[in-house]
Amino acid sequence: MRNRSETLRRDSRKGVPSYLYFVLPAIILVGIILLFPIIYSMVISFFNWPQVDSGNRFFMWGKNYLDLINDHEFWHSLFLQLGFIFIAIPIELVIGFLVALLFNREFPISGVLRTLLLLPVFTLPVLSGLTWRLMLQPGYGAITYLLSLVGFDFPQGILSDKNLAYSAVIVQDIWRMWPFMFVILYAGLVGLPKDIMEAAELDGAGFFRKTFTITIPMLRPTITTAILLRIIDALRIFSEVFVMTNGGPGGNGTMLYSLYIHKQAFEFGKLGYASSMAVILIVVSVLFAFSLVRKNMDIDTM
Amino acid sequence: MANIRKKKTIIKWVTFTVAIIIVAIELFPIFIIMSNGFKRDLDIRNSNPFSFKPTLYSYKKVFQKSDFLPSIKNSLIVGISSTAISLLVGSMASYGISRFRFKGRKVLSYSFLVSRMIPQIALAVPLFMVFDSLSMTDSYISLILAHTSFNIPYVIWLLLPFFSSISISFEEAARVDGCNRKQIFWKIFLPLTAPGLVVAAVFAFIMSWNEYIYALVLTGNTTKTAPISVNGFMGQYAPKWGQLAAAGTIILIPVIIFTLTLQKYIIGGLTAGGVKE
Repeated sequence: MRNRSETLRRDSRKGVPSYLYFVLPAIILVGIILLFPIIYSMVISFFNWPQVDSGNRFFMWGKNYLDLINDHEFWHSLFLQLGFIFIAIPIELVIGFLVALLFNREFPISGVLRTLLLLPVFTLPVLSGLTWRLMLQPGYGAITYLLSLVGFDFPQGILSDKNLAYSAVIVQDIWRMWPFMFVILYAGLVGLPKDIMEAAELDGAGFFRKTFTITIPMLRPTITTAILLRIIDALRIFSEVFVMTNGGPGGNGTMLYSLYIHKQAFEFGKLGYASSMAVILIVVSVLFAFSLVRKNMDIDTM
Repeated sequence: MANIRKKKTIIKWVTFTVAIIIVAIELFPIFIIMSNGFKRDLDIRNSNPFSFKPTLYSYKKVFQKSDFLPSIKNSLIVGISSTAISLLVGSMASYGISRFRFKGRKVLSYSFLVSRMIPQIALAVPLFMVFDSLSMTDSYISLILAHTSFNIPYVIWLLLPFFSSISISFEEAARVDGCNRKQIFWKIFLPLTAPGLVVAAVFAFIMSWNEYIYALVLTGNTTKTAPISVNGFMGQYAPKWGQLAAAGTIILIPVIIFTLTLQKYIIGGLTAGGVKE
């Protein structure tokens, strides 16, 4: 290892193309398209910046941020977006873990079935949202129909009731993303040393004992990674809800933080205000992302 | 002994049955979208969701509708261009990170990874403002650049394990033969990591194909991508569910092929690079 880095260092001293030749294009491109907009939105977030009335743009310190604190809709939207973290992710984790345990046994065509479970994860979020919207239509939606067969009638439609609509977007997310938990946990399970399991079985440990005292503790790092990845993902949720409910019913029934940003920016044209919300979201997600990356990812062990 | 074996067989088939049921429930919404593509818009609204008399009516309508095929073309243009740029720039950066030890190497690679995790809606606002002030909205280049911004970090991290797995001795041999770094990268490394490049390209393309937020904010009538036009079937008043489902099925095809063929690499891709074992 030391030898290798010495040759590399020697190489760059000779003046032949250095690392910059290789990394600079990426730095420049990502810098222009990512870093610049972030800095730009930080600046704009201190301005009153209506999209159309360009004469009315002026610097106003932290007024946007103060307004956010007093904006009831802001807190409501934040609450709804965080709901995905506290409601959907635990459920996805439990389902994913149980199914991973199931698939850890041997049975016919398990490989094919495992692959099929991944389809929803890669299904276009837009299509997922629209499909659920169709299935939940009053009268002719497949799920509404099935529910009516077992005695749950929703003549107004599930998506026109605030609580039901929010549950529906959560269920949609669970449907799409529990297989994500599943694949990551399954990969972790398969990687566990077999001999420890067998030793536990010889000691007479039952299934539950084995699961709680051995499997889960050994899977801890994998579980943490999976949860962090999903938290970062939950902060990004937008498209599926945007097309499924457009933030409704009742104006804000499913108005997630991300949808509220979109509304402020592109419906009300309040770009300064929207920028201040965007800045907060960027800061929060970068914090989560750094804790994920620092703990769980290492360029040199790959 | 025979009893234990019999018990094992039973458990195996019970597990199998449960797994089949789980998969069937999980794929139900996908079945719904595919089957509704073979129904007429009106029939969907007026009949039992499980009655099924297949017709190609909706597919015909979708292909006749003026803006669906162009939107597929737009998606392909944006997807292929952003994939090509990301692959070129990303593979160079990935090589630089895996083969050089320089100051700030870790910070740089982690920053790339973190940048990919920032919610797009937060970036869409300033990106829109920037492109709007340059009068560049509704142009291919703005959407291609936007997609490139999240695909470059992706490609870098997907390729790192492929690059790291290549023995240093190849380079040493090449160096003895008088190759410099540039030549080593272009003539030796890229051909050796071709499988990794293909995987990264397909992943990048699918990410671009599925992308909605930037397309929503940055495109207009001439450059709108397929996901936008599929949502367009919702219409102002009455949704055209049959056509929506048909178009949805069509844009799902690349995703299905991708999932079924690349499942081996999917875990690495899902975690955007390496998860520490």
